[in-house]
Amino acid sequence: MQEAELHDLSDDPDYVASQQQGSGGSENQKCTRKSNGPTEPNGSEVVYSKDNVAIHPTQYASERISGRLQLIKRDLSLFMTWIPYKQSASYGVGQGSRVKLPEKDRNLYTIRAVPLTDVRSIRRHTPTLGWQYIIMVLTSGLAFPPLYFYNGGVREFLATLKQHVFLVRSADDANVFLVNDLQDPLQRSLSSLELPRAVPVANVASSSSSLASVHSDDNSNQRSNADYHDSSFSPTESVGRHRQKVRDPARDLSIQVLEKFSLVTKFARETTSHLLRESQIFDNIGGYEKQQQVHSSPVKNQVGGDPVSQELQDKNQIISDPLEKIACRNGKLCEAAATLVGTFELIDSKEAEQQSLVWGKPRLPPLGHEEWATFLDEEGRIVDSKALRKRIFYGGVEHGLRKEVWKFLLGYNEFHSTYAEREFLETMKRSEYETIKHQWQSISPAQARRFAKFKERKSLIEKDVVRTDRSIPFYDGDENPNVGLLRDILLTFSFYNFDLGYCQGMSDLLSPILFVMEDESEAFWCFVSLMERLGPNFNRDQNGMHSQLLALSKLVEFLDSPLHCYLRQADCLNFFFCFRWILIQFKREFVYEKTMRLWEVLWTHYLSEHFHLYMCVAILKKHRKKIIEERMDFDTLLKFINELSCHITLEATLKDAEALCIIAGENKAACIPPGTPPSLPVEGGLLE
Amino acid sequence: MSARRRMLLKVIILGDSGVGKTSLMNQYVNRKFSNQYKATIGADFLTKEIQFEDRLFTLQIWDTAGQERFQSLGVAFYRGADCCVLVYDVNVMKSFDNLNNWREEFLIQASPSDPENFPFVVLGNKVDVDGGNSRVVSEKKARAWCASKGNIPYFETSAKEGFNVEAAFECIAKNALKNEPDEEIYLPDTIDVAGGRQQRSSGCEC
Ligand SMILES: Nc1nc2c(ncn2[C@@H]2O[C@H](COP(=O)(O)OP(=O)(O)O)[C@@H](O)[C@H]2O)c(=O)[nH]1
Ligand SMILES: [Mg+2]
Repeated sequence: MQEAELHDLSDDPDYVASQQQGSGGSENQKCTRKSNGPTEPNGSEVVYSKDNVAIHPTQYASERISGRLQLIKRDLSLFMTWIPYKQSASYGVGQGSRVKLPEKDRNLYTIRAVPLTDVRSIRRHTPTLGWQYIIMVLTSGLAFPPLYFYNGGVREFLATLKQHVFLVRSADDANVFLVNDLQDPLQRSLSSLELPRAVPVANVASSSSSLASVHSDDNSNQRSNADYHDSSFSPTESVGRHRQKVRDPARDLSIQVLEKFSLVTKFARETTSHLLRESQIFDNIGGYEKQQQVHSSPVKNQVGGDPVSQELQDKNQIISDPLEKIACRNGKLCEAAATLVGTFELIDSKEAEQQSLVWGKPRLPPLGHEEWATFLDEEGRIVDSKALRKRIFYGGVEHGLRKEVWKFLLGYNEFHSTYAEREFLETMKRSEYETIKHQWQSISPAQARRFAKFKERKSLIEKDVVRTDRSIPFYDGDENPNVGLLRDILLTFSFYNFDLGYCQGMSDLLSPILFVMEDESEAFWCFVSLMERLGPNFNRDQNGMHSQLLALSKLVEFLDSPLHCYLRQADCLNFFFCFRWILIQFKREFVYEKTMRLWEVLWTHYLSEHFHLYMCVAILKKHRKKIIEERMDFDTLLKFINELSCHITLEATLKDAEALCIIAGENKAACIPPGTPPSLPVEGGLLE
Repeated sequence: MSARRRMLLKVIILGDSGVGKTSLMNQYVNRKFSNQYKATIGADFLTKEIQFEDRLFTLQIWDTAGQERFQSLGVAFYRGADCCVLVYDVNVMKSFDNLNNWREEFLIQASPSDPENFPFVVLGNKVDVDGGNSRVVSEKKARAWCASKGNIPYFETSAKEGFNVEAAFECIAKNALKNEPDEEIYLPDTIDVAGGRQQRSSGCEC
């Protein structure tokens, strides 16, 4: 797989030359290196050092900030630093009268010990006229500002890098080098999946401007989601789209944009690249403390960002990282926003609270009758089912419309069917239901006595329907006929799919469907459609559940590696504490109305068929600080999770899950194998 | 480790779906009976502080889904158990017949170090139903089975009416305590166990 992406670097004379310089003259080079920079006391070695490497905070080269670029090796990891010189040394040479850049801005640009594992690609620009520069794109999809090599030397830089990290040329652009020094084959393959994405993100100015647009999207409720969530859901795609507009990489670079960039970088790094690295570097959480001290790089930043919309505020938790101890809150500058990477770091804790990570779109009001009508043509076909699914994904459906809309979402009615076709289908299905129902109704008591399997099944169902949602008015009270309907439908289903039969949890899934349909046959057929996807949850071998729990584990590994590390230590990687969530789609975790809202969102399969797994990650991530800090063991964690029931904020969790789903991007495929429920089984695999 | 293990006694309640496991647990811990309990999905537990003479223990009572299909989850939940409670419904023969399966399944999945002597307690629940008229498993039959499995203590209970629940759980707690390998634990005999002798013969008669 990886080979396909690689180009042999030997076709590039520039590169060959640099490589010879690098490896052939390694003896020589080592000496140079030693003379360039002193070996640091704590066992780190400076393997490359280059002076007069500058960034251009504005579009004017005269306003550059010059500094020293270094590659430092510590243990087995390579880090890159770029430290600006003291103010007077080189800033604004020949422009003495110009306003000097404040200290905090210099700090803002400082690059402190970025591990090369955080770097996805490096684009080099070696124009014949003008200065050579490189742009480093992080695995998060974001980039550092261009680093201008005033004395040349990009080639040597790449050559040195090649000696320490896995460097390959992008298939799409000869000037882009992909960086990947992961050791573990799985992680390597994970990151290789990302490679194609690295290419479009080659320009800082563009990524910055697209970030700005992400933020403004968040600020506008009215705005359509079109350009952010279209066909591809990777944020880097939109970066690519914006790229065309901006030619000069230095233009538009403003401190403000950089700040946003740093915030997003912080988030994206945490959720994506972090884990690829950390799970390798650290065997235990305790290791973090030490690492923090080594790499900590507090940077102050006082410039306020854009106003942040209200609904973003409840999102704070998702990025709160127990390992990045934000020591002081409420307005005081946070000195301790230390991380392993320490690139552009936070900042003002108050601001951090507001901006946090909000990539999830603002939620919309539920779809109402008028808007629903616009999705239908005169004959009742849904013209643009994707737009409908998207609309429902972001807002759900008004209760009065559910009876109609759910039939589409569940797949009982086809989107392109007409009113007439649906009416016909309903009649057919009604009599088909009666036929199946009659099969068990016609079993006489005498026959039942010799039909243990039937009797058992019936009594299991009867025991469960009387304990299903009895506090909901629709099902409450003695002799409630709706409880009888639940029983009849479940029993009929157990004949419709005799092999699957009845399993606990099914009554929970049927209950809201009957409540919405208020019709026995329609509820039955909608339930049948739902079970086509969720049936594997109830398989005798429990394979459907195990494969989802495994996928969840992989997703957590990818999206929240510190938590995954912790769960590994605590021997909780079976994720059984999420069993109930997955088995019945969070039915027991939310009040009735919220469950219905969640289900219609899940059933759109808009961003993913496995959105429920991202819900799991979002909830776990939100509580990971507590989980880790309190060192919860399996029992405590299970209890904790069970007790979250009715204490989960649905809308916020949906947005978090959406953000996580987008971040997972193409890595989804590596985490969630095809066929994992509730994906439909592959064609031909159905026993019918 | 020993400090914590000594304090915590882990009890697993097993039995067919609907025999009243959740109700029994809630009756014991919360002294409540509700018709509105939902069928258990996955697993959950309740804890109760109990005192034997001057020592405090935490009884952690695990309630799991009763359907066989979910038994593969048991591995995660059964480990470290100190006592296993087998529940059947005196009005449902099948639930009694299944006791043996539950017992064996538990021994396989929990794999206790000394399976021969692992403490079980059997509860025949719902004795209140229909004034006992719909009863299909006699006390005699149940006791015979318990005797055959190494004198498993036996109780007849009603989670609904709270009948014999306290006594049953005292016995359960005591057996869990006894299972703790820790020598320091002193077994008080202040608790009256209604269901026969607490001494368990080491030999298995089956
Ligand atoms: N009459 C009576 N009903 C009971 C008793 N214990 C439980 N039930 C009822 O039996 C059903 C199943 O109880 P539950 O505790 O949920 O069983 P579980 O599946 O074993 O956990 C519920 O409807 C309870 O109300 C009892 O002692 N007497
Ligand atoms: Mg139960």
